[in-house]
Amino acid sequence: MSKCGNCTTCQSADKVLEGFISSMDMETSHHRVESQKVKCGFGQQGVCCRLCANGPCRITPKSPRGICGANADTIVARNFLRAVASGAACYLHVIENTARNLKSIGETKGTIKGINALNKVAQIFGIEEKDMHKKAVMIADKVIADLYKPRFEKMELVEKMAYKPRVENWKKLNIMPGGAKSEVFDAVVKTSTNLNSDPVDMLLNCLNLGISTGLYGLTLTNLLNDIMLGEPVIRAAKVGFKVVDTDYINIMITGHQHSTISHLQDVLIDEKVIEKAKKAGAKGFKLVGCTCVGQDLQLRGEHYQEVFAGHAGNNFTSEPLIATGGIDLIVSEFNCTLPGIESIADEFMVKMICLDDVAKKANAEYLQYSFEKREEISDYVIDEAIKSYSERRGNVNIKGKKSFLSAFKKHPERKSNITINVPADHGYDDVITGVSEESLKAFLGGSWKPLVDLIAAGKIKGVAGIVGCSNLTAKGHDVFTVELTKELIKRDIIVLSAGCSSGGLENVGLMSPGAAELAGENLKEVCKSLGIPPVLNFGPCLAIGRLELVATELAEYLGIDIPQLPLVLSAPQWLEEQALADGAFGLALGLPLHLAIPPFITGSKVVTKVLTEDLETLTGGKLILEDDVIKAADKLEEIVLDKRRKLGLK
Amino acid sequence: MKRIMINKDLCSACLNCYMACMAEHNKNGKSVFDVDLEDIENEGRNYITIDKEGKPVPIFCRHCDEPECVNTCMSGAMTKDKKTGIVSYNKEKCASCFMCVMSCPYGVLKPDSKSKTVVVKCDMCDGREIPRCVENCPTGAIYLEEVDC
Repeated sequence: MSKCGNCTTCQSADKVLEGFISSMDMETSHHRVESQKVKCGFGQQGVCCRLCANGPCRITPKSPRGICGANADTIVARNFLRAVASGAACYLHVIENTARNLKSIGETKGTIKGINALNKVAQIFGIEEKDMHKKAVMIADKVIADLYKPRFEKMELVEKMAYKPRVENWKKLNIMPGGAKSEVFDAVVKTSTNLNSDPVDMLLNCLNLGISTGLYGLTLTNLLNDIMLGEPVIRAAKVGFKVVDTDYINIMITGHQHSTISHLQDVLIDEKVIEKAKKAGAKGFKLVGCTCVGQDLQLRGEHYQEVFAGHAGNNFTSEPLIATGGIDLIVSEFNCTLPGIESIADEFMVKMICLDDVAKKANAEYLQYSFEKREEISDYVIDEAIKSYSERRGNVNIKGKKSFLSAFKKHPERKSNITINVPADHGYDDVITGVSEESLKAFLGGSWKPLVDLIAAGKIKGVAGIVGCSNLTAKGHDVFTVELTKELIKRDIIVLSAGCSSGGLENVGLMSPGAAELAGENLKEVCKSLGIPPVLNFGPCLAIGRLELVATELAEYLGIDIPQLPLVLSAPQWLEEQALADGAFGLALGLPLHLAIPPFITGSKVVTKVLTEDLETLTGGKLILEDDVIKAADKLEEIVLDKRRKLGLK
Repeated sequence: MKRIMINKDLCSACLNCYMACMAEHNKNGKSVFDVDLEDIENEGRNYITIDKEGKPVPIFCRHCDEPECVNTCMSGAMTKDKKTGIVSYNKEKCASCFMCVMSCPYGVLKPDSKSKTVVVKCDMCDGREIPRCVENCPTGAIYLEEVDC
């Protein structure tokens, strides 16, 4: 905990951010960690059941069964499957909207920015069509058709997309998913009052949901977005609060559905729109990235250099970002839009607009996004942004930042008296961004051979995907993530990151080439010769799907199955239900997955044993629960070394 | 000494005190995640009961000034430390007569559920600055107060 006047905030790996937060006179999530530090032990162990009016029941040594007779195994498995189903539902919502947007673009003959991605997906799906718009519609239709199938009809794209040995494994385990949305529906049924009580059946159901989450919610969302919004290109970019330029009208975006803001980001650099901004006294509009959709914009930043200011930070950076005073409007379309931003947005007179009611904030205006109304919606957002800008910053004629800020001080009587305080020392200028399965392979010369050779030679010992969220409780904001990453690169294990974890890692410099100095001798040499950092930034959590593509292609290149790769996963600071659905995908792929905080399962011996031990004999994957950084690194390194040995590598 | 005081109106029967007690006295480790919730050998030394109005009442050892458990103990297993005020239990000396259980005016002492040979007794977390139960009470229903011993 860090002291700030008469309050206490949690530690952050990002010390500039921690200092900024402790100097705020408003409360953030970082402040509330202290007042929420007493946790319910039964909740932590997953043995609280609220499924009926006889409850809530909790398992203790003296009350080993709920009133209905459910034991710890049943209660834990039910709670866990429910959480995974919710997480899967979130990602399936994202792919559903993404596919619908692609279909609309195809039907209206809109711009297709990623022809390679279009052709690649068409080839995977087995679509033969010359007209690219028709092709886009056909792709979207296939995705949508699968999502809407009943549970008893298997989704047809699973076999086309997944690695063959995995499909065989999943068929053996009988976990091939039927229609994804129906699967979620029946998982909810299964976990309702006095229905399923079989922990193993429910855990296998989690793997089934993991497959549809991973292949559709993650992988396909990336690829369809690449078609609509452009493919990632590797480039250096600025990150942190320093990306905020107060000469512009700044729109902060939060969410996961990049295609929802596709039209907006294009028109913001339209000359007529810039003219409107100029009339209000600004130079134009900028989108400030925050949460995963900001990572998505950063990933495709090559195509949006004019409109995209850069990525400011992850979920738990959003509250202080608004408190810099540099944000004029917030557009949200999904999580992680923290309820905590509401009071800060009000205080700083920042208008909030929500485009998807699944992320409706209490003080936000809701505009239901639809492709047909995109122009109208963008116009409205632009007008509201100008209005908000003018109201909050005062109608000051800006001739330069200095005179603009001093004008504030001179006119405290103006309606707007917000303080603008953007810490220019927060962030980095040289973060390597835009890494994807395609851009990385292209960087390596169009083949995985150079990477495989480096691994075989022991220059790179193995690969760790440090993915998922950021939370405030695994040692503090991004603390576990950053410490574990440093520990792994020191051991010559290259780290790939996707999710809010990457937002944290880039803001502490681990994704800048200079971080090579922190790596072990061998990895440092590789990084320096290639000019890359030892931690590669794949962008949003959705890009965990890209890591799966990399894993599949590496396995294919070597002619082995995915569990044989010297590849480990860790979602050290997992936060939400979506992370659990991602995790279920990792386990279905047969990968070891580390979590620093147990996912509310330790109250059940059966569930814990199946996930941490028995699963290895089923899919090859297993869960590793370890809340100590060094011990976690030891365990992950040991697995990497073991897999190397089994591949005949030193 | 510091005594655990009770404000039953604030108790929501969340049992966090009970969980905290199990965690603190668990031979497998002190983390909440180390607690085996199905292991009857590791039971909490406090409990929550329901009064006749249906409201929860936390029951905690008061380490009494005039401890009946000590007065009635014939084997010398129960002792009151005049300096610290703590009433301690030594299971090696216990003859399992359970006079202490019968005489406890608060009904907090009980034989262990598994072997029914030893007494389950609060040790104020053996010198811990704030007893784990008090630290983990989210509502302030149990709190510490300095009293003369």
